[in-house]
Amino acid sequence: MDLFLQQVLNGLTLGSIYGLVALGLTLVYGILHVPNFAHGALYMVGAYVAYFTMVDLGLNYWLAMIAAGAVVAFLSVLCERLVFHPLRNAPPIHDKIAAIGILLFLEAVVQMYWGADFRRMPTPYTEILHFGGLTIPAQRLLIIAGAFGLMGALHLYLKKTMTGATIIAMAQNREGAFLVGIDANRVAMMTFAIAGVLAAVGATLFAPINLVYPAMGHLLIMKAFVIIILGGMGSIPGAIVGGLIIGFAEALGGFYISNEYKDVIAFALLVVILSVKPTGLFTKGVR
Amino acid sequence: MLKLENVDAKYDSFKALDNVSMTVGQGELVVLLGANGAGKTTLFNTISGLLKPSAGSVTLNGEDVTGRRPSALVQAGVVQCPEGRKLFPEMSVMKNLVLGAYVHRRDKAGIKKTLDHVLEMFPILEEKKNQAAGSLSGGQQQMVAIGRALMGRPKLLMLDEPSLGLAPLVVKQMFETIQTINREGTTVLLAEQNAFAALKIATRAYVIENGRLVMEGDRDTMLGNEAVRKAYIGA
Repeated sequence: MDLFLQQVLNGLTLGSIYGLVALGLTLVYGILHVPNFAHGALYMVGAYVAYFTMVDLGLNYWLAMIAAGAVVAFLSVLCERLVFHPLRNAPPIHDKIAAIGILLFLEAVVQMYWGADFRRMPTPYTEILHFGGLTIPAQRLLIIAGAFGLMGALHLYLKKTMTGATIIAMAQNREGAFLVGIDANRVAMMTFAIAGVLAAVGATLFAPINLVYPAMGHLLIMKAFVIIILGGMGSIPGAIVGGLIIGFAEALGGFYISNEYKDVIAFALLVVILSVKPTGLFTKGVR
Repeated sequence: MLKLENVDAKYDSFKALDNVSMTVGQGELVVLLGANGAGKTTLFNTISGLLKPSAGSVTLNGEDVTGRRPSALVQAGVVQCPEGRKLFPEMSVMKNLVLGAYVHRRDKAGIKKTLDHVLEMFPILEEKKNQAAGSLSGGQQQMVAIGRALMGRPKLLMLDEPSLGLAPLVVKQMFETIQTINREGTTVLLAEQNAFAALKIATRAYVIENGRLVMEGDRDTMLGNEAVRKAYIGA
């Protein structure tokens, strides 16, 4: 039983990070119809910014997280302005190619400056907590609390503020949004900034129990796409639930089936769920 | 207040508006008659800034607004209630209305006042205010759409086929509402296929065919015109 609970906890940790990353991806897709393959690279840049803010500048973990959020949000908006905005009337394939271009560019730049070494990010939260038979590293608790806290904050922002409402409005009816006077550029920049913050915070939370290296975003972005397809493209609850499903499937599958195959499980699950429900789990409303 | 001069609009190489010139005066209720595909919606979207004219100019109260962005035009008081309503289906009725006042978002007291007025005009929306807009009947959704447009405090309200798909009794109420809005001082440009009902409340009317304005006249001239009666009234 304890072993099972331990896996549930691992699944929750993984799932909350996957959810955060997928949330940014699904927001951008649902509102601007851009499949942002560069999102994984933004996540990677977030981890590097946090790492160097802590190691080189000697600032604490939380300041590093804020720095990562700010830098990546800026970078994300810059991608929108310089790349996706000029392509807004181009065929969708151009967005895809451009996004892959940004991904390769960011990786190359990071590798040029900081090399391809694997780095371990320090964290001030190294205690191991014990609850009954459960062993819980404090960083994992922080990941779960941080991720869900941020999701809650995003939910409030989207539901309670006027700016948040414009983002939802744009997703539900683009032309309707224009006709009430919502500025498409503002919403686009806002959405990219939010996606950037989610990726950077996700990276800063997850990096201490993982490694920091230029290709760290690859598998994650693949899984994030699996998650948003599974949850329904553009769906916010879909991204969160989808993230948790993949997180749990990996943790439990990795433990009970085979650890070598844990990355395959996400994709196998995608095949199974899409054959039962081809439109994804939550497809209401947004495309 | 609104003046179009020699406006052309294109979808790729297809010319959807051809040399359109029209005026809408302060306080008027101008009806635009035309069959499906004649260019009514294209004309509206061009005035709203969703579509950029390929030639010609649009002026609003003497100021050139050709090619401005939709948000700038809403700010200037040109608000469209589009065909097909274009509501935010999963948001509540109240949220749809409040978003209609997006350009006035800093003016909380003003929003409250307009909202009260809209709810007074459509009391049923008060009852349904917490329901998702997409769950309402067609007639109620049309009320939300008109209400949302009114929340933008239009100087010129453009209504694109508001009677489309509504029951006859509801259509009658809809036209009464439009007349009320006009009498309260809002200039109205109304596109309709329901020519008789629309002309009855109109000041003037234009007829559009294949992207060209082919006829213009005041209410009585249009109602008495043989060609209009044959083509659009069927009597």
